[in-house]
Amino acid sequence: MKKRILILLLALAPALAFGQAGKVKQANRDTQTWRYEIEPVTVGLQGTVVIRVWSFSRNPVIAGEQAKKNAVHGVMFKGIPTLERMPGKKPLVTPEEEVNSGQFLGQFFADGGDYMRYVSLTNSAGGEEVLKVGKEYKVGVVVAVSYNELRSYLESKAVIRSLDSGF
Amino acid sequence: MKKIVLTLALALLALTGFSQAKKPTIMVVPSDVWCNMNGYMVEFDNQGAWEKLPDYNAALQSDPDLLLAISKLGEMMAERGFPLKDLGACLRQLRNDAAEMSVTMASDGSDVAESPVDKLKNVAKADIWMQLTYKVNEAGPKRSLTFNLQGIDAYSSKQIAAASGTGTPSFSVELPVLIEESILSNIDNFNNQLQNHFDDMFANGREVALTLRKWNSSPVDFETEFGGDELSFQIEDWMANHTVNGRFSTQDVSENRMIFEQVRIPLYAPNGRAIDTRTWANDLRKELQDKYNIDAKLSMKGLGQAVITIGAK
Repeated sequence: MKKRILILLLALAPALAFGQAGKVKQANRDTQTWRYEIEPVTVGLQGTVVIRVWSFSRNPVIAGEQAKKNAVHGVMFKGIPTLERMPGKKPLVTPEEEVNSGQFLGQFFADGGDYMRYVSLTNSAGGEEVLKVGKEYKVGVVVAVSYNELRSYLESKAVIRSLDSGF
Repeated sequence: MKKIVLTLALALLALTGFSQAKKPTIMVVPSDVWCNMNGYMVEFDNQGAWEKLPDYNAALQSDPDLLLAISKLGEMMAERGFPLKDLGACLRQLRNDAAEMSVTMASDGSDVAESPVDKLKNVAKADIWMQLTYKVNEAGPKRSLTFNLQGIDAYSSKQIAAASGTGTPSFSVELPVLIEESILSNIDNFNNQLQNHFDDMFANGREVALTLRKWNSSPVDFETEFGGDELSFQIEDWMANHTVNGRFSTQDVSENRMIFEQVRIPLYAPNGRAIDTRTWANDLRKELQDKYNIDAKLSMKGLGQAVITIGAK
């Protein structure tokens, strides 16, 4: 009996792993197609922005994890909308700059890529908001992005221009 | 081969060194409205009419919140590569210069030449002014801060960037915290607009103004004919050839004066050196001298307005 259970588990393991990988890929595709929502939470400490990111996935854990990538992606390409009296921010990277730095940005946003250095705090350890929407979960996580450090890094990699460039 | 590479490298280095535009200086000042609201004004008799002027010295010496706002803005601008000129230090420098000037004497007893115009021009200068206004609003026990930061280009006197708004009302937040929050929330939007202004400047040139006038004693005026056309039209032709894409607007022309506004001057001379309003206007002064044999005096009003007076030096 034990043997049968073991064989069954061994047979199921690759299927489970592939299923998980498929969901991660789908989450990455969602990031690339802007399928996430961002809202400001509060004025963070100097040099940081604190935002709530809503991500979508059939697996709430993956959605929670993807929130970190979505937060950096959003700050860079989508901008932060204005909320009541809290002013928003324009995206750090313009569409032209995005096109010019495609290869670098691909590596930057790879799983475990450099983007992780700029997500300094999240409430993902149990504090996230989880909503069930159809067959998916919509997970809201509060993330602090090191905005100034991220901007300096992108300037140093010539992805974006610095304010004093040309002088 | 090595020699060629070295020569090329040196040539490139020289070229990049020359092709740097002059970095604008930026200074934060409290707005006139803020100074008036907080009682930092001085009154003086301007030929019979009482006028009020902001007393920056008194404001800087008495208001720690203002000092905090200025230093916070300075810190955040330095991070973006623009260390700010400090208003307090500039005012101290002007006082020291004035004191030194009053006691400086040559060995024969003569003092340093200074015309009334020189004295008038002894004021703090910057290319861009960041004009700051803030006001605390109270609604019952709640307080909020209305914040307004305006970036004024000293050359064109135009507002080139701004960030303003009222923060969320709060029960117990102290004023310095409200000020810091407002600056942190608004500075990036302000800098985005500043970046747009710099982009426009690199693409279309620096915007300045030029006034031409004549001394009463001048034998020529702007309607005097030279080579088949009036001097004013000759000057307009020169303007068209020496501005970026020929961009300028002639605001007023008479036999006694010509006023040009929205004049877009190039950031670099043809030899690659960075130029400013005075250097650019000096080319016109030289043209008047060389081509039409007209003596002219070039003077500056602030950083962005050149005045050429024809007829004498």
